[in-house]
Amino acid sequence: MSSLDILSASTETATYLERGGVFWYSDTGLNVREVARAMNAVNARFITITTYELPGDGGFRLEYHWDLMGHLLGFTFPIPSNAIESIYDLCEAVDWIEREIHEEYRIDFTGREYEPLLLREGGVCGVNLQKEVVQ
Amino acid sequence: MSYEIPMGPYHPGLEEPYKLDMICEGETVKDAKLHIGFNFRGIEHLAETRNYFQVIALMERVCGICSFIHTLTLCQAMEKLTGLTPPPRAQYIRVVMGELERLHSHVLWAGIAAKLMGFKTMFMTCFEIREKVMDVLQAISGNRVNYAMNRIGGVNRDIEDPQSILAMVEALEKEMIRTIIPIFTTSKTATSRCAGIGVLTTEKARSLGVVGPVARASGIGQDLRKEAPYAAYGEIDFTVPVVPDGDVRARLLVRALEIMESCKILRQALAKLPSGEIAPPGDGSKFNFATGTATARVEAPRGEVMYSVSWKEGARMPSRVHVRTPTFVNMPAVRFMVQGARLADAPLIQAAIDPCYSCTDR
Repeated sequence: MSSLDILSASTETATYLERGGVFWYSDTGLNVREVARAMNAVNARFITITTYELPGDGGFRLEYHWDLMGHLLGFTFPIPSNAIESIYDLCEAVDWIEREIHEEYRIDFTGREYEPLLLREGGVCGVNLQKEVVQ
Repeated sequence: MSYEIPMGPYHPGLEEPYKLDMICEGETVKDAKLHIGFNFRGIEHLAETRNYFQVIALMERVCGICSFIHTLTLCQAMEKLTGLTPPPRAQYIRVVMGELERLHSHVLWAGIAAKLMGFKTMFMTCFEIREKVMDVLQAISGNRVNYAMNRIGGVNRDIEDPQSILAMVEALEKEMIRTIIPIFTTSKTATSRCAGIGVLTTEKARSLGVVGPVARASGIGQDLRKEAPYAAYGEIDFTVPVVPDGDVRARLLVRALEIMESCKILRQALAKLPSGEIAPPGDGSKFNFATGTATARVEAPRGEVMYSVSWKEGARMPSRVHVRTPTFVNMPAVRFMVQGARLADAPLIQAAIDPCYSCTDR
């Protein structure tokens, strides 16, 4: 049984599409915390979150990646409101990447406390990589 | 009574600027907070303003030690978007360069670790050997640091005389077997200074998602060269050293064993080097990118590097480049490694993950 079969067995409707080196989960109505729980259940290893700033007032798109036995799995979450639930309590490895994204893009990972990571005293969230900084 | 001792951002025990605020009781470290960002250059944002040639040169400068690995990962992602497959000879040359860079990185780290142990003679020995690794890299690429070897669909320079490179590698291996390996694996100085300190348990290592030699020294046998082979690694025989102890000595042992495995890989890759081209036909001045995102992962000397690259068809510049470096995931573990340690051991413990802040801050 391949790693993807194992994951499919753990989530009833799992279907994946391989594109650009990533097995993307095709269901778009996902909750990030449910995904984190499913990944924990199959002992997948958290890799990273990639942030995409969408044009106009579209907000952001976050792509979460886990490794399962050498397969890179991808899950996409559009966040028009610039906020998404944190998975830090479910996945300790996400700590620094959530903090970095928060400071670079001003995205709020709700339900967690932040300590400064990149910013020094007086630094403003969102000035590093966000294209249009809202002061 | 607790008191806070800052280490950094500029400190003799740190190779690059970052800050470790340690909460101590007496000589014992109770907890620590880490601060990064002192090297932040906005490279991911800069990448969006560079065309497909310039972006390779830019990403080569993310890290001074593993510059080849960064361009390899970037080029592998761009190859997925352009539909180009490097010729077999280029795939083998990529393996040779990748393993020489691993040797360079591990020997450099061994020297720094020796310096922090107070073992100055070993520091000088390691740096002398490192020079010889750099001589091999220079013989192939013409450069000592940023090699400019990778291009989309292949490599820029051939290994015209593999036998002469093989002879250099064999001479290097003999010297490492004579000096670095026995001293780091059996000497009382190294053992007494490193054994039992900075422990990261297997369970904690899994929870934090650490990668590379840090993971392998905590009993986790992950290595992308085996799990998701790229370049020509699928055709090469090697083992992945794993040590379960999780302390600084285990990290030392893993890297020492990896030096030997790298020599084994280099001998095979140079012996098997297929004939043929090193890049696709054409002058390589124009590439057609498909719209979309491609991701590539490579096992760098410090662990897994991942690039996500997004492009729009017809564009000369990427719309997004995201880099996930190994130190970024290994560094949070330092907080747990120093808890309960003696303050005097903190510099060696933090160095044992072989941190790269140039990569981390990018």
